Amino acid sequence: MAHDSELLMFQVGARVFASAVEDVIRIGHVRDVSPEELVEGTSLGNSFGGERGIVVADHANGTEATLVVDQVLGVRRVPAAEIRPLPAFAAAVLRTAAVAGLVLFDEVPTLLVDLPTLIRERRTAAA
Amino acid sequence: MSAVSEGRDPHGGSSSGPPDAWYFCLRILGGRYAFEAPLVTEVVRLGPLTRLPAAPAFLPGVFTHRGEVLPVLDLGQLAGQGSVTIRPSTRAAVVHCGPWKVAVVSDAVEGLVALPRRAIDPPPAESSGMAEFLSGVGRDRGGAIALLDLPRLMETARARAVPTGGGTA
Repeated sequence: MAHDSELLMFQVGARVFASAVEDVIRIGHVRDVSPEELVEGTSLGNSFGGERGIVVADHANGTEATLVVDQVLGVRRVPAAEIRPLPAFAAAVLRTAAVAGLVLFDEVPTLLVDLPTLIRERRTAAA
Repeated sequence: MSAVSEGRDPHGGSSSGPPDAWYFCLRILGGRYAFEAPLVTEVVRLGPLTRLPAAPAFLPGVFTHRGEVLPVLDLGQLAGQGSVTIRPSTRAAVVHCGPWKVAVVSDAVEGLVALPRRAIDPPPAESSGMAEFLSGVGRDRGGAIALLDLPRLMETARARAVPTGGGTA
């Protein structure tokens, strides 16, 4: 029997995204984080100057990274049936692997973001 | 699906010769384009689009239709001819190509047309714009219809996408 998933909802710029709660270490304020740990300008777009940060493990470096977001909207429990894979064509042409799928809220798809992959891609691009 | 063309022979000729081929015709950026009819499963009205990060311009987003998430393909953008304007009334043809299923956005849907095989000419020699994706050019009472080679079109779209790694929304 499929289980519900707990998703962290957050906003970058004008858009709302979801991520698996288990990928998140903690939520913080960007002023508490050293600049080199902050991650901005990812494929999710630029924030409006957000002050919140989602702290994620950066397994490649054995460190933590903090994704700058505009709002953390909370945690939602979502039935597994409402989580869909990215359509095959979209998966084949997207220039990022950080989209883990789509969550349907009232039939409208919201992006499910693979935060560790998002962080890794951004750091690789910046290197 | 909507309008079905009248008659089996759009040229009004005799029924002798090779049988008609059936195509599904869309209007895109002022042109008439058609897919082989069996590849088109339905016509849908686009719901609210969700944009995808780091997506090429020819993939303006995804939407849900009867609980299924469908990617939208803008042929105008793929061919470098501009975007099809997406409005609440915009309709798209859902097409299957191997493992891929996409909603091809259009300015208008004409529906099924029957073209005598003898009236289908080879595609133009030029390899730019939409001509790159044509398998032939047909003609009926409404004028010329560019016949799209869907497998080539989808493969080109895939090949033009940059490999994973970075990018911005």
